Amino acid sequence: MIPLGHIVILSMFVFCVGVYGVLTQRHAIRFLISVELILNAANINLIAFNKYLGTADGLGQIFALFIIAVAAAASVVGLILVIAVYRLKKSVFIDDFNLLKW
Amino acid sequence: MNALVFYTLALFIAASALLSVTVRDIFHGAVWLAMTLLGIAFLYFYLDAGFLGVIQILVYVGGIMALFVFAIMLTSKIGDHKIPQINAQFWPGLIIASVLLAILLKIIVNGPWMNVRASAVIIDLQTIGKSLVTTYVLPFEFISLLLLAALVGAVVIGKVKQ
Repeated sequence: MIPLGHIVILSMFVFCVGVYGVLTQRHAIRFLISVELILNAANINLIAFNKYLGTADGLGQIFALFIIAVAAAASVVGLILVIAVYRLKKSVFIDDFNLLKW
Repeated sequence: MNALVFYTLALFIAASALLSVTVRDIFHGAVWLAMTLLGIAFLYFYLDAGFLGVIQILVYVGGIMALFVFAIMLTSKIGDHKIPQINAQFWPGLIIASVLLAILLKIIVNGPWMNVRASAVIIDLQTIGKSLVTTYVLPFEFISLLLLAALVGAVVIGKVKQ
């Protein structure tokens, strides 16, 4: 079996790719894709630690399950917001999303 | 053999995650995100978390990706190659992400986890189901409430106003 550190390194890489996407991409849906990557990196960590150091009641897997549900809710609301703003502003770029800025 | 499976999978996940944020066409980005999520589901199978792998495929690859594709289709005018996909913060963003990755790598490589090997404990579906409705029943119910709130909120926000 491979050491735990290698799985954590993979998850760190996916997390940093997500951070890069959140910071640099203009497209609102690309932004949500990056957020999904960040949440999945957290999930990889939870599953890996549960497998290597976990207790018998499977808390890591249950927590990952909750994160998947929260991520689903977040992306539903995020995507419908993108569609609603697109109807109003005819744009999907975050630069144009300044409706709440005085 | 066992290690080879993991490293192939890790390479696949890392490459498709990178492609999903860097590729130009947003639709291709969504497809690469689906590939990433599928790879992560296989990683869950590899780590003896079969239930989570199935849930990952059902919820992410089946549900959320369909939503992403719908949202991309409903918001058009993005295939134009003259529109820049990257904002003015490209270099600061790249530097921040790289420095963050370097710091995290340093912490992990020097940390205690590089030599930890897997324990023999295998958590089966029965255990997860039992603790989900006994010990962790309150967060479980809160999740259903959150999903209901997201559903109602999405309908209210997405409704076309007359």
